[in-house]
Amino acid sequence: MLELSGLSKHFGGVKAVDGLDLTVNEGEIFGLIGPNGSGKSTTINLICGVFAETAGTVRFRGDLMNGKPPHRRLRAGIARTFQNIRLFPNLTVWQNLWVAQNSRQDVATQGFLPRWFGATRRTRQEIAGLLELADLGHKDDELASNLAFGEQRRLEFARAAAARPKLLLLDEPAAGMNQQEIDDLSQRIRRVRDSGVTILLVEHVMELVMGVTEQMAVLNFGRKIASGTPGEVQRDRAVQEAYLGTAGSTSRPGEGGD
Amino acid sequence: MDDYVITVLSNIGMISFIALSAYLLLLTGEISFGQQAYFGLGAYAAGAVTAMLLLPIWAGILVGACLAGLVAMVVGALTLRLSGLYFSISTLAFAEMVRLILLIVHVQVEVEGEMVGPAGAEGFHGIRWMFERDLSLVQFMLLIYGLLALVLIVLLLMERSRLGSVFRMLGSDDLLAEMQGVDTVRYRILAAGVAGVIAGIGGALYAHFTTYVEPQFFNVMLGVHALAYGLIGGLGTAFGPLIGVAIDVGFLEAVRFIQGYRMIVFGGLVAVLLVFMPRGLLDEERVHWLRTLFARRSHARSQRR
Repeated sequence: MLELSGLSKHFGGVKAVDGLDLTVNEGEIFGLIGPNGSGKSTTINLICGVFAETAGTVRFRGDLMNGKPPHRRLRAGIARTFQNIRLFPNLTVWQNLWVAQNSRQDVATQGFLPRWFGATRRTRQEIAGLLELADLGHKDDELASNLAFGEQRRLEFARAAAARPKLLLLDEPAAGMNQQEIDDLSQRIRRVRDSGVTILLVEHVMELVMGVTEQMAVLNFGRKIASGTPGEVQRDRAVQEAYLGTAGSTSRPGEGGD
Repeated sequence: MDDYVITVLSNIGMISFIALSAYLLLLTGEISFGQQAYFGLGAYAAGAVTAMLLLPIWAGILVGACLAGLVAMVVGALTLRLSGLYFSISTLAFAEMVRLILLIVHVQVEVEGEMVGPAGAEGFHGIRWMFERDLSLVQFMLLIYGLLALVLIVLLLMERSRLGSVFRMLGSDDLLAEMQGVDTVRYRILAAGVAGVIAGIGGALYAHFTTYVEPQFFNVMLGVHALAYGLIGGLGTAFGPLIGVAIDVGFLEAVRFIQGYRMIVFGGLVAVLLVFMPRGLLDEERVHWLRTLFARRSHARSQRR
């Protein structure tokens, strides 16, 4: 489904991502973990086209994505959420969902009036369904800025679903969540996968990654240092070193510890 | 109505075009100090069409609007990668370029034994279509407000359409808009073009109302005012900038004791509003509140059905 090969992004002398090879299969929940600054976010930004890669390729369902702007990639089926909540505060809840829903190829070809004025029954029903799922049914005409924190999170998730992606990139969705919320989130992620969406989860909340993913890869300093099932990765020595530092005096400069 | 009142009302109408033009760009998050250039281009082009080519005024307005729109799209494409202060400075620089070019353009033709056309710093005299047709001030004012109503209807329809949402999305988060499948490049150029057309129509009308335009009128103060109208009146609806114009040209001009201090009062008003209501009197929040107030009754009716 998603195939990264030799993917690199250098910012000047800093190799944020360096020769990354990664394959995510259809229907998988794939986890991508790594310490801070290991290149996880850069990888997401490369996949959805925010950054242009220095070298390497991004293939999605066999198509080369290099050079395609983010909106083309969304239409191809790659959607994402953000680490911090990002909504359009000046638009209503309904409008927040509408534009994403309306970008889809099957909706965009409905003709002028439905496309620009959202007039079809189908569009309205679909958005009503999304609102229902997100438990925001009564808030459709509220400005997004007036929603409570939890509601904003749910709206963001609903908006990602509105585009009906084939691949959903989740950028640290569990940041700042308590245990109860993390459990809810795992369930929601599984439900989304079961509806036919492949998921790439970038996270450093370990319970979530270990509990929900089937395959995973670990990044450190922009390189993949391990991959496999969560069990395999947990036992990997290189991973333990990356997270806990190496024993004795061989620790890399800048890793601290006395 | 005496001529003075009609003139003030006509001025309010004509300035409203450039206010709406700047407002549209403010929606997309861009502060342009250069909309006066499109107003000026519209004025010169329309004047040339009616006074030099002797074509009717609708042709002049059409040419003025199209030229302003096209140039605005080119400038929009050139400034795509700029944002914030850099965008503002480049629009200002472009507008000054247009003004300085108009200062040296000397193209005149002989019409009925008289030389007519842009004459550099001396301006463009003799755009007399209105007098040749024996149009009264009131009739011309109706033309201004007719076109203004048309532009306003288009903008209000746009607000309700996906385009309105897209423009506001560009104004708050470019990257996020891309992630919703919005081709931000295309819509930014479109917004620039539409804003140019609106300013161009205003300029075309202005040239025919005053019968005389000079480059000096299209200086940066016009553009700054255009921006201020949207920021005073509010960015929540296209009525916002019109309220801004009415407050400045109408109220401040009409109140006697402010006379002579108008710019000081105006500047103070802008400063106070920017602090307490950064998106103007009718910002999105208040417009939304008003809309739900009006919509509640019809909504209740549709619920019963």
